[in-house]
Amino acid sequence: MANPQQFINNLKVSDKINPAVKFYTIKKSKSFVGNLFYYFVLLSLSFVFLYPLLYMVSKSLMQTWDVADATVRWVPHQLNFHNYGVAFTEMKYWQGLTNSTIISLGSALLQIVSCSLIGYGFARYRFPLYGLWFVLLIFTFLVPPQTIVVPLYMFFSDLGWINTHLPFIVPAAFGHGLQGALFILIFIQFYRRLPAVLEEAARIDGAGAFRTYWQIMFPLGRPAMITVFLFSIVWHWNDNFQPSLYLRLPPFYNLAQRMNGFYGKASMTADQMSTSVSSGAIGMAPTVMNQMMAGVVLSVIPILILYLFVQRYFVESIERAGIAGE
Amino acid sequence: MKFKMNMRKRHIMEGYSFIMLWIVGFMAFMAIPLGRSIYYSFQNLSPSKAGLVAEYVGTQHFRAAFTVDVQFLPLLQSTFTNMLTHVPLVLIFAMTSALLLNRHFRGRMLFRGIFFLPVIIASGTTLKKLMEQGATNLPIFLDYDLYNMLRLFIPGDLLINLLTYADALTMVMWDAGVQTLIFLAGLQTISPALYEAAKCDGATKWESFWKITFPMIMPMILVNTLFTMVSSFTRADNGVMDYINQRVFAENNYGYASALGWIYFVLIFIMIGIVFLLFRRSLSSMEGR
Repeated sequence: MANPQQFINNLKVSDKINPAVKFYTIKKSKSFVGNLFYYFVLLSLSFVFLYPLLYMVSKSLMQTWDVADATVRWVPHQLNFHNYGVAFTEMKYWQGLTNSTIISLGSALLQIVSCSLIGYGFARYRFPLYGLWFVLLIFTFLVPPQTIVVPLYMFFSDLGWINTHLPFIVPAAFGHGLQGALFILIFIQFYRRLPAVLEEAARIDGAGAFRTYWQIMFPLGRPAMITVFLFSIVWHWNDNFQPSLYLRLPPFYNLAQRMNGFYGKASMTADQMSTSVSSGAIGMAPTVMNQMMAGVVLSVIPILILYLFVQRYFVESIERAGIAGE
Repeated sequence: MKFKMNMRKRHIMEGYSFIMLWIVGFMAFMAIPLGRSIYYSFQNLSPSKAGLVAEYVGTQHFRAAFTVDVQFLPLLQSTFTNMLTHVPLVLIFAMTSALLLNRHFRGRMLFRGIFFLPVIIASGTTLKKLMEQGATNLPIFLDYDLYNMLRLFIPGDLLINLLTYADALTMVMWDAGVQTLIFLAGLQTISPALYEAAKCDGATKWESFWKITFPMIMPMILVNTLFTMVSSFTRADNGVMDYINQRVFAENNYGYASALGWIYFVLIFIMIGIVFLLFRRSLSSMEGR
């Protein structure tokens, strides 16, 4: 029944007063009100989710006189990108962007490769001590990073990895790093659902275990990969905890750290923040909030653009990947 | 000579070669650091020219955390009470949004994209910045005249509490992005045939939610509970996390920081153990299905 209206028009006159048809139309109008209510709920919830974005953008476009003006709530009197200019130069944006991109993209790609491999091993093979390793995998997911922060910092500093990107990239290559265990669990869940027939066919044709995996299963893992890729990139991008441990000098700061230290030009810049041990002691200059928000917008804009592109595949892939346990 | 193995042995070898990478990583980035952090927590580490000098002090750090330190216990307490209110609210909200988004309607993909947006924007450092500006509360509940309008109907003390709670809901909603997706993925796996069967037997929507949907996504509820707990322990605004960092980097008090880290971890583990116990019955009854 492609078109209900057409269906009703095609009916004979006598049918139109048929109670069943009447019921149909009444039900239709009822569901219209229902739909209206439904969309109302969705739209008002959407507002809450869009609010931080609207807030950042609107505030970052305002100038001091707009903030003081009580009639200005969301839309500033004139479009002015001055704040962005200040934030851009003060944060040394390109340097931060390069660092963030290397860390996020590098870790995300490596985590896709390593976590997929490990996830496949857990999903398709049973071996002695399987239960132990699986429990340890869950365990890694649960250990808060603070518990091992001291030895890990010392370990990396002994290796001379402080102020490099290696503390992020090397653990990622081993299927660890930020939320590595969760990504492995996502892949386990995904590979378990694929039918075993595919591999059996490849094995009969003489492919070895790794070739079967690399040529048949890994390409099939695309829905799970998109999920892991997006999560990994976003979490690495926004993370301030690990970078603040391992990147101790301003030139190596990533965008999140720069944004964290940026309070507007009247106040201290990211570079000065790191040299002064406690900013509270000297007394902080007032925050230039609009410039700060411009800094925030600048630092989220790359992943926002990425999200706009992969959003469609991402939301679809969630349905197929099934990121949950069963 | 051709290397000969029976099927079983070969299967085990292959399996281990797949996860070997992880085992190596686990040793280097988890097991050894964990062991060292236990060791440090019983030591006093003082930086010197030859590196860190360790001195055994027994359980002094652990005792200090509970008796001498005036900041740690209150921070710990507030973290755990926050979690206890936060987790159920996030779960309920995520469930509601997943049910809303699971229906077929025009613009479904767009709304799903929007519902997940806070995971991109309102997380980590960005969230911290927004919090500093007080932008994590919608100006609906505490601004305007809502208080004066509602005071006529609801007693003032109760109303203030209610509005403060409603105000905190923004954070709950922003935090529920990943959980919503997990629930959504779970809802997709439920066969429509079950709902049809229930409908034929005269079940209402309400009944089929509690008798079909709810038990079917029980595993996702467990996953989401764990995920929400873990993420609330490591959030950007978590006081304990900041406090431990300060001990490490502002005071170089490595031994004490390790001890605090372990106390925190053990408490989290106990909480998670309780959650598993609570879920065990419902999960085992699922498997016997």
